[in-house]
Amino acid sequence: MELAEDWLVESLRLYQDFHAFDLSGATRVLEWIDHKGVFVAGYESLKKNEILHLILPLRLSVTENQGLFPERDFRVCHGGFSDRSVFDLKHVPDTRLLVTSGFPGCYLQVWHVAEDNDVIKAVSTIAVHEKEESLWPRVAVFSSMAPAVLHGVRLSGLRTVDLESQKITYSSGVSDSEELSSLQVLDADTFAFCGTSGRLGLVDTRQKWAPMEPLSLNPGSSGVKWCAKVRDKDQGPGPCIASLGSDGQLRLLDPRNLCHPVSSAQCPVPTPSPDPELLRVTWAPGLDNCLAISGFDGTVQIYDVTSWDGKRSQVEPLFTHRGHIFLDGHEVHTAPLVTTHTWHPCKPRTLLSAASDASLHVWDWVDLQASC
Amino acid sequence: MSPHRVFPLPVWAGQDVGRSCILVSIAGKNVMLDCGMHMGYNDDRRFPDFSYITQSGRLTDFLDCVIISHFHLDHCGALPYFSEMVGYDGPIYMTHPTQAICPILLEDYRKIAVDKKGEANFFTSQMIKDCMKKVVAVHLHQTVQVDDELEIKAYYAGHVLGAAMFQIKVGSESVVYTGDYNMTPDRHLGAAWIDKCRPNLLITESTYATTIRDSKRCRERDFLKKVHETVERGGKVLIPVFALGRAQELCILLETFWERMNLKVPIYFSTGLTEKANHYYKLFITWTNQKIRKTFVQRNMFEFKHIKAFDRAFADNPGPMVVFATPGMLHAGQSLQIFRKWAGNEKNMVIMPGYCVQGTVGHKILSGQRKLEMEGRQVLEVKMQVEYMSFSAHADAKGIMQLVGQAEPESVLLVHGEAKKMEFLRQKIEQEFRVSCYMPANGETVTLPTSPSIPVGISLGLLKREMAQGLLPEAKKPRLLHGTLIMKDSSFRLVSSEQALKELGLTEHQLRFTCRVHLQDTRKEQETALRVYSHLKNTLKDHCVQHLPDGSVTVESILIQAAAHSEDPGTKVLLVSWTYQDEELGSFLTALLKNGLPQAPS
Repeated sequence: MELAEDWLVESLRLYQDFHAFDLSGATRVLEWIDHKGVFVAGYESLKKNEILHLILPLRLSVTENQGLFPERDFRVCHGGFSDRSVFDLKHVPDTRLLVTSGFPGCYLQVWHVAEDNDVIKAVSTIAVHEKEESLWPRVAVFSSMAPAVLHGVRLSGLRTVDLESQKITYSSGVSDSEELSSLQVLDADTFAFCGTSGRLGLVDTRQKWAPMEPLSLNPGSSGVKWCAKVRDKDQGPGPCIASLGSDGQLRLLDPRNLCHPVSSAQCPVPTPSPDPELLRVTWAPGLDNCLAISGFDGTVQIYDVTSWDGKRSQVEPLFTHRGHIFLDGHEVHTAPLVTTHTWHPCKPRTLLSAASDASLHVWDWVDLQASC
Repeated sequence: MSPHRVFPLPVWAGQDVGRSCILVSIAGKNVMLDCGMHMGYNDDRRFPDFSYITQSGRLTDFLDCVIISHFHLDHCGALPYFSEMVGYDGPIYMTHPTQAICPILLEDYRKIAVDKKGEANFFTSQMIKDCMKKVVAVHLHQTVQVDDELEIKAYYAGHVLGAAMFQIKVGSESVVYTGDYNMTPDRHLGAAWIDKCRPNLLITESTYATTIRDSKRCRERDFLKKVHETVERGGKVLIPVFALGRAQELCILLETFWERMNLKVPIYFSTGLTEKANHYYKLFITWTNQKIRKTFVQRNMFEFKHIKAFDRAFADNPGPMVVFATPGMLHAGQSLQIFRKWAGNEKNMVIMPGYCVQGTVGHKILSGQRKLEMEGRQVLEVKMQVEYMSFSAHADAKGIMQLVGQAEPESVLLVHGEAKKMEFLRQKIEQEFRVSCYMPANGETVTLPTSPSIPVGISLGLLKREMAQGLLPEAKKPRLLHGTLIMKDSSFRLVSSEQALKELGLTEHQLRFTCRVHLQDTRKEQETALRVYSHLKNTLKDHCVQHLPDGSVTVESILIQAAAHSEDPGTKVLLVSWTYQDEELGSFLTALLKNGLPQAPS
């Protein structure tokens, strides 16, 4: 416990605020709803998993007089049970519906979050065209008058299904069997994808499949797996696509040129990632040119990529969250693996992170390099 | 055996601080669990509505006992009102620390209500004393006989000093009431624990059932950060405490970290606090956790390296410091004095560690008031930072699941939650433990059917006799045995028939059946009898078939006699007679004979 107490003292300086929770089951999902709540879901294979809608502690939503709001606890607002492991969960905006994807069985489950009680119930399924044994479909949601679900295991299987009518409204129509790693809806008509080989594309659904794709980009170099994230449009100039590889490579790209990254760097992380499915790279919504990565060990690292250009062999994170390792005094080799993380939509330096030991942290880090 | 009836006495709306008072009817006995008051009200609404218990008749006659789980006012605050103003003279059970500490808190509360707020119709100091005279203190894990049928037992609940969970047992039926409990140990108290007592019903508070609690370390960190930041900028920190609440815990925490961080800022503890706390902790050392007990043996509880006794003059010293002072709600005494001195400086901070009753300065500043009217119409401007830290340890969803797993009840009852907001938890409990889970609203009655287990003693003689008949080849198959069940003096025994007859002084009656079988046979009766004998001898190889000198045939103890039909010489009548015990064989023989005899060789 010595180590844990040392770290706690250290944390006084490193964090403005820090909360740690124990979920009943580890989650790979952290999906925001209404800026006040998140969904988490279990991914164990042989037991019933829980899907929970958690409301953040009140003090995290309040800016003034935080001291008068002593509640530091999450509230379980809704809960439901899933017989399958849940690997991805998306909330359909402006509705009380959720879509999940997982194992076993290659299909999507639609859930309804009750209004008059606290139960989340499975209501329907969405069939997936592809029949895969060991891969699960990635999911993204087009929110509009008629919400639609974009899903696919491989590029060839990319489809958009209207949630209400269950009609297929878009189909990639290609025979490319590249496995998908990330899917992200950008606006009402465009989405971005990232294949496990690192191949990126931006697709306009109103046009025939002709995504802006790189023709050469070290196709599937020695088994490295990739994921990617596109930054929000209104976040200013600079490369807006970040791509993370299981070998610790971080690339920044401009959508106008997906062939050549603007910059790339080797992050100081243990490589290769023990589970490339857990790789996450996210852009900070409240800070310029800041992004976070996780999926290599029990840490979440934050980088300021403002003046990145060219190839950098050595980069240092602006901040490293080591709470999942040190809070309970783990030895480094028994430390859990961070499964996912996400930024708070309103508080610029607040993140949520979850790990394989079912811990869930909410932390507000101090920028020690800031001038004031 | 009557089913359990449980109902939480009605609470008017307003659940910001829960209030506990539950009535349980178990096998004809009536027990009241806790007698709390609602802190949010200033009128009679703060007390439970005891008319729900019984419309007529005295409470003392109706209730077999009252049990108080711990000293928090929302669990014992209405006790003097209940026993002295409504009227109850029966026993009140609680643990020793609760018995020692309750009256102090009740008196404090009475003072605030009457002296500060000028309330009438409140219980008096004498009533508190009279009420406590009815208390019977219990030890942990001690089985206490309330009467010859009802027994109770207390289990460690953590939460606060002396808090207990209670098992109430009547015969083979039992209920466990948790009160407030905590499943994670803290720096001075252990975690709640109960054995696999398998009660019919587990009643647990569910105010925090739908929360997931922030870790203890993070709460501690928050406290440390606030204190540290204040003293770093030269400010003073005032922490108003109740001697036996969190003070101990916070002192240990600060001591540990002051050492680690090598801080020199003085920490003070007001003397009144030290003496009282020392006294009670010494008395109840077994109620604290292992670590505390060990250190207590080595040194005095409040002898910390970095924490010194406070002198009122120190409050005027310049520079940073941290002071723990009583009372906890800033309503009088030393903590209020210090507060008045430090309130005007924005560098200072006051950390309120618990709920404050309406009317106290603590409550006012927590509500946001920054201009306070003191005695002599003096106005105090509060510029110091006000923080409210909730240190109180309650079981959350995870804790409830852990306790249910430990006790293994047949059913679970969640009180003080909103049913609509706990449907998921209910499903979770029902699925994980395969038990029924109930969530009554206040004032609602829940009836639980129980299947009583009836133990039956079997006489050794009977067992031995069965054993002597040899074991069946398939040992796991159930075996039928015959005996007589005697129900006498609320005990059940299974004995052999002979023993039963002897004990009851009855003579055995024989029951004999006789059946007539008609056969076509023109020969004489004697010959018919002989034919019957030959036939049965050949057919029933396993039985003893005999032909007696008087012409009758016996098969074991069954008698067969042949006689001529009175009217028809061509018909013979066989009289087959057997006792009740040989029913099976008798019926078999009759059926066999009805099929006729084989033709005799001519």
